[in-house]
Amino acid sequence: MWTYEKRLQYPVNITKTCPKTASLIISQFGGPDGELAASMRYLSQRYTMPCKETAGLLTDIGTEELAHLELICAMIFQLTKNMKAEDAKAAGFDAYYVDHTSGIWPAAAAGVPFNACEFQSKGDAVTDLFEDLAAEQKARSTYENLIRIIPDPEVREPLKFLREREVVHFQRFGEALERIKTKLDAKNFYYFNAEFDKDVKIAGV
Amino acid sequence: MSERAKLLRQIQEIGFTMDDLLLYLDTHPLDPDAMEAFSQAREQRCRLTKEYSGKFEPLTLCQVCPDTSNTTGTFTKYPGQKHFTWSDGPLPWDNQGGV
Repeated sequence: MWTYEKRLQYPVNITKTCPKTASLIISQFGGPDGELAASMRYLSQRYTMPCKETAGLLTDIGTEELAHLELICAMIFQLTKNMKAEDAKAAGFDAYYVDHTSGIWPAAAAGVPFNACEFQSKGDAVTDLFEDLAAEQKARSTYENLIRIIPDPEVREPLKFLREREVVHFQRFGEALERIKTKLDAKNFYYFNAEFDKDVKIAGV
Repeated sequence: MSERAKLLRQIQEIGFTMDDLLLYLDTHPLDPDAMEAFSQAREQRCRLTKEYSGKFEPLTLCQVCPDTSNTTGTFTKYPGQKHFTWSDGPLPWDNQGGV
């Protein structure tokens, strides 16, 4: 289960209304490499992970991603809370405004709604950890793209923090993959599915 | 910066130290230096959150203590009145701008 702590993981204090910026960073809420997909990816994969430490890591990173989702939503909220209908129109945020006003709803920057197909839970430890490593890199690239096009330092600082977390998560998933591999047959790590083929006894898993 | 903002920033910093050490310890559970750093951070966070919830609003449900928390009576609809303090304080996603 979870408990809530009434604070953000990193401070978000945005003073300038900018629906255009909101329409871009919303991708890190509901887009293909966003925080919602990240959290659901790890929290779904963990149940069948054959290595307890890795299941624990998925829980902890999946939990931190929920805090990141909250940061992104706080940013969207602050960028749009004083928005007028004309602002939305001028910023190209009008299509979103028509359906959601200033409400926070998970979608990609191009307007595609959040979809569970954005992430995989394949039931194979090696497959899933490679997916997780790729996901962290894709999220890092997305944050870098955002940082390149957004000039406001009040928006950039939390984005830079979030980008750094992708780097750390990549590192930890890499270590988890190495740990799983030490338990597998070094002659062929990919010979069987460590989660499913329970008859093949793996040392210490 | 107000006392509230200063304390909250310290909690955010020490909280982040724990977040980062947690993931490191998930993959390095035998590292003595990291374990020591984690327990020091944990102690400091307990101290700071206790101080914060005494003077201002509780940040977690465990810190909700009707009639004794939020001694400064800030960000509450019921100053000086015995009440359930969980709803005191600003919303985390509001721009608090260092208040």
